[in-house]
Amino acid sequence: MTVTENPRRYKYVGTRPVRHDGLDKVTGKARFAADLDMTGQLRGAFVRSPHAHARIVSIDTSRAEAMPGVKAVVTGDDFADLDPTHPEFDMAVNLMARGEALYNGHVVAAVAAVTASQAAAAAAAVEVEYEPLPAVLTIDEAIAVSAPIANPTNRTLFSGDTEPSNLASVNEFGRGDVEAGFEAADIILEREFRTVAVHQGYIEPHACVADCGQDGKATIWASSQGHFAVRSKTAAALGWSTDRIKVIPAEIGGGFGGKTTIYLEPVAVLLSQKAARPVKIVMSREEVLRATGPAPATKITAKIGATNDGEITTLQSTMYFDNGSTKGFSALTGAMSVASYKLPNLQLHAIGTVSNTARSAAYRAPSAPQAAFAVETLIDELAQRLNMDPIDIRLQNAVVEGDATAMGAPHPKIGFVETLEAIKNSEHYNSPVPEGAGRGVGTGFWFNIGEQSSATVNLNEDGTATVITGSPDIGGSRASMALMAAEELGLAVDRITPIIADTESVGFTDITEGSRATFATGMAVVNACRELIGQLKQRAATIKNVDVEQVEWVDGAAVIEGQDPLTIPEITAMAKNTGGPLTATASLNAAGAGPSFAVHVADVVVDEETGETTILRYTAAQDAGTAIHPSYVEGQIQGGSVQGIGWALNEEYIYDSDGVMENASFLDYRMPVASDLPMIDAIIVEVPNPSHPYGVRGVGETGIVPPIPTLANAIAAATGVRMTSLPMSPPRLLAAISGNAGS
Amino acid sequence: MATVHLQADHRRFTGGEKVLQVQGDTVGELIQELERRYPGLGPLLTDGASVAINGELIPNGIFEKVDESTEVYFVAPISGG
Repeated sequence: MTVTENPRRYKYVGTRPVRHDGLDKVTGKARFAADLDMTGQLRGAFVRSPHAHARIVSIDTSRAEAMPGVKAVVTGDDFADLDPTHPEFDMAVNLMARGEALYNGHVVAAVAAVTASQAAAAAAAVEVEYEPLPAVLTIDEAIAVSAPIANPTNRTLFSGDTEPSNLASVNEFGRGDVEAGFEAADIILEREFRTVAVHQGYIEPHACVADCGQDGKATIWASSQGHFAVRSKTAAALGWSTDRIKVIPAEIGGGFGGKTTIYLEPVAVLLSQKAARPVKIVMSREEVLRATGPAPATKITAKIGATNDGEITTLQSTMYFDNGSTKGFSALTGAMSVASYKLPNLQLHAIGTVSNTARSAAYRAPSAPQAAFAVETLIDELAQRLNMDPIDIRLQNAVVEGDATAMGAPHPKIGFVETLEAIKNSEHYNSPVPEGAGRGVGTGFWFNIGEQSSATVNLNEDGTATVITGSPDIGGSRASMALMAAEELGLAVDRITPIIADTESVGFTDITEGSRATFATGMAVVNACRELIGQLKQRAATIKNVDVEQVEWVDGAAVIEGQDPLTIPEITAMAKNTGGPLTATASLNAAGAGPSFAVHVADVVVDEETGETTILRYTAAQDAGTAIHPSYVEGQIQGGSVQGIGWALNEEYIYDSDGVMENASFLDYRMPVASDLPMIDAIIVEVPNPSHPYGVRGVGETGIVPPIPTLANAIAAATGVRMTSLPMSPPRLLAAISGNAGS
Repeated sequence: MATVHLQADHRRFTGGEKVLQVQGDTVGELIQELERRYPGLGPLLTDGASVAINGELIPNGIFEKVDESTEVYFVAPISGG
């Protein structure tokens, strides 16, 4: 449902047509990377480190190479020797170890053979001599005095330091005087929060097929969030120029940030080059969990002060984020996401650490959920101590346009207040809390980004249109592109075919990340359509023998006073007589991505004998700016909520003392399934983004931010126990209720 | 000329100065001037930061025009998931 009145109304935008790719996806016809098979294709398999940290003394591939069906073997020596300052150095070393294995599961060699079983057998026959090294497995171990160095190539970002360190990045920022803020406070709360690594949990494991030709060029079919990035990252890892690589996007079975980087493609290309045959690699679920990027574990201390009337006077926090085996920006991003409240006095220390665990990767609003767990829990506790409504205290302190973000820059037009009010006015929030249950509220923020996108729109001879972009469709973006094109051109949406083209068939387009596809690629589509309308008007003027200034474009037709309108099919039918095919291309580097806020409310009951939490009711409101296709906006809100619920209640990487993940399967890594959940009621708030022609704000990420504090606050209301570590799984919650741990 | 706001990790170059008046007609010229005044700072602003101009995040905005009323914030690079 949509609650905020968007003053603009459209003919197609805001409707709910069946997505263009829907039938193929529900009938199994859509082709994902693992569905592709080529004549003469080999199968690839990896050799992975059994140690969390070890020096690679030697690798002997001779026995593997002599095995039946084996056509190629590669090791780190076959890859480009990048300088550690190269922006893709960590990615390249992560997909094939050089000198040291940095975590359990780190790839040290790969083989290609005729069958998958032959490849697996040959991988097992590769003889690697390791010298085990001391491993760093946690944040506390990483920052301990005299800790062993987890990754000798790591240098601390932003520090200027040149020595190896377990600190990935160190930042400090803020404003005002936090000590004065605490002095002005009537109430001060301080807690330490812990979260563990969790995985994005996409259904489709990483997969690709690579075919390297005799001309030295490679074609890659891959599932990713951005095939241009697959091209550039593969080129960097191999030391190739990008013109040697063509990437054809397969359908993607979920990414959530985890497919913004690559693990397979350069390996498959090298194996294909050596074997002179196509090579297909498909990860197992165990490999996905063990060796592809989880979201970082965290340790966050936060201290907040407020007056008795609910005005927050100050916030001080130190945030440690574990990046896994390489450096990254996760801590900085987490601190930057503290942007929802007017905080006159703010001090944030953001410290990234390095450990001998799998290299972390982006996960939907990266780092914001962990930070929100801390801040939103403390605000809820402030409300409780001050006997205030938890939404009222947030409304009292909520940022509006012009208020400072954590980094100091002012917010553009935003809809946080409207989103809070949507929940405050919801039927759920105004209903009685069920007997024995607790109700919790939490909020979330995400920046959203713009970046580079391209689009081409072709009008066909019968007046239908093809919209060509380079953004993989990970959440219904084909439909949103078609809807915006329909609105611009005045064509019915089912007469528009949205296509995702390969790297040689459409202009460069950045990764589908930062909730940017509908915003930025959508703007490119709109711009291309507007260019096309100019051409249509010119063609109509030619046909009617009038000046183009006399032609107006109204509801899909060229209108000339005193004459019958010319429709698109009528104009395209005469294209060959008026100058040839009608086509337009637009590209941009989009600025002005509108931040999005979300507010969630949940009712839960906790079984005090088992520690199990049952969610009775869950409602999520989010500002979408303008919902181009409301069903898919609701889907994003619901999907983010469910992933956040899993993160809050069950999911965790469990490592043994040697750094081996003990629960690397979906049987043991417990993600929520439908039977665990109530209906997630989605409320779309529309506060249009003035920087987009239709007011779009990205919606893909913010929904994952509020669930952790929402559920922690609901559990506190139900049990009286403040959970400060995740997951709030039955054994942990039971221990906390019993007074033994966790709160 | 524009008003430039720096983050804490930039301030080790400026002796702790957070807000500076900097000569230049574009963001790129501001960075050049900051590099001239504080050697070593320029690369951090070019490669290690995004720029927000009057509240709007601009990707790769070195050619963006600025004037005396412009507030420029160099902030950490933001991507997403």
